[in-house]
Amino acid sequence: MRQIIVMVLILLFALPVQARPVSYPGGWTVMLMNDVDINSLHIHYSPTATYSVGVRHEYLRGSKANVDTAAVNYLIKRWNMPAAQANLYIKSGAGIAYDDGEYDPAAYTGFAADWENRRFFTGYENRFFWADQTEKFIKHKARVGVAPYVGDYGDLHTWLMLQADYDAGADDNFSVTPLVRFFKGPALLEAGYNLDDGALFNFVYRF
Amino acid sequence: MRLFLLTFATLGFLTLPAQADHAAAAQVHDITVKVNGLVCDFCARAVEKVFGERADVEGIDVDLDTHSVTIDMKEGADITDEEITKLITDSGYNVVEITRAADKTE
Repeated sequence: MRQIIVMVLILLFALPVQARPVSYPGGWTVMLMNDVDINSLHIHYSPTATYSVGVRHEYLRGSKANVDTAAVNYLIKRWNMPAAQANLYIKSGAGIAYDDGEYDPAAYTGFAADWENRRFFTGYENRFFWADQTEKFIKHKARVGVAPYVGDYGDLHTWLMLQADYDAGADDNFSVTPLVRFFKGPALLEAGYNLDDGALFNFVYRF
Repeated sequence: MRLFLLTFATLGFLTLPAQADHAAAAQVHDITVKVNGLVCDFCARAVEKVFGERADVEGIDVDLDTHSVTIDMKEGADITDEEITKLITDSGYNVVEITRAADKTE
């Protein structure tokens, strides 16, 4: 019952968890993500505004394994409103996981949804990860955010956010991380700290 | 009569440049496009990049407050509404309305 309540809360307060995984036609994006569970580097290229292809390297801190995957992100649907935008993505990848000379096939997939205007932001994503003998998990992330001021294009934008993480297979499976997002032009930086789990640091650059 | 014709011809000649300027002004296209979905710098940058690849575009100004994109075309260049709509759509956004500076001056 507690898990159901947690999931409902996550879905209700879902927010855009990460920067959009698809860019403009011809755009490259570098995404560096670090939290208590995973350190990852994802570089992708968007041939069109509806999908991106790239490579992703991640280090799973729990199993101490590395994972290299070819990644594809697809924009299933975008709702453009006069002062807001909502998106639905599917994010998938396939490759190998390795640790101490042991290699496993690895794959992941998941949905991501977000809604934002210039003042508020909300998003949710899940990730189903499978690497045979190395590690398997299903994680859910949700975010809500508010901008204390609304800046114009080129200004330094600041967001105050809360990120909720839920991992059904973990012992300590629910955590909330307050974080701050700074966003200016092509660069986005996020830093947060969770009293239970430690630090979060994300950096995104689009060119 | 001769004086009248001479005066008329002179006035007509003198006003030619002004008429030509007016015609040119009517063809200078500062184009403003109302766009749905512009909410952040990444959105603005997407529109800038897509239009920036065209050699006939002098500059782009994205205003998140008014949800609009102003396209400054190079002298003598033009872009159709269909092309604008396709570029905005390719960027990932939706066109609501296209207004040309020439429309306002007429």
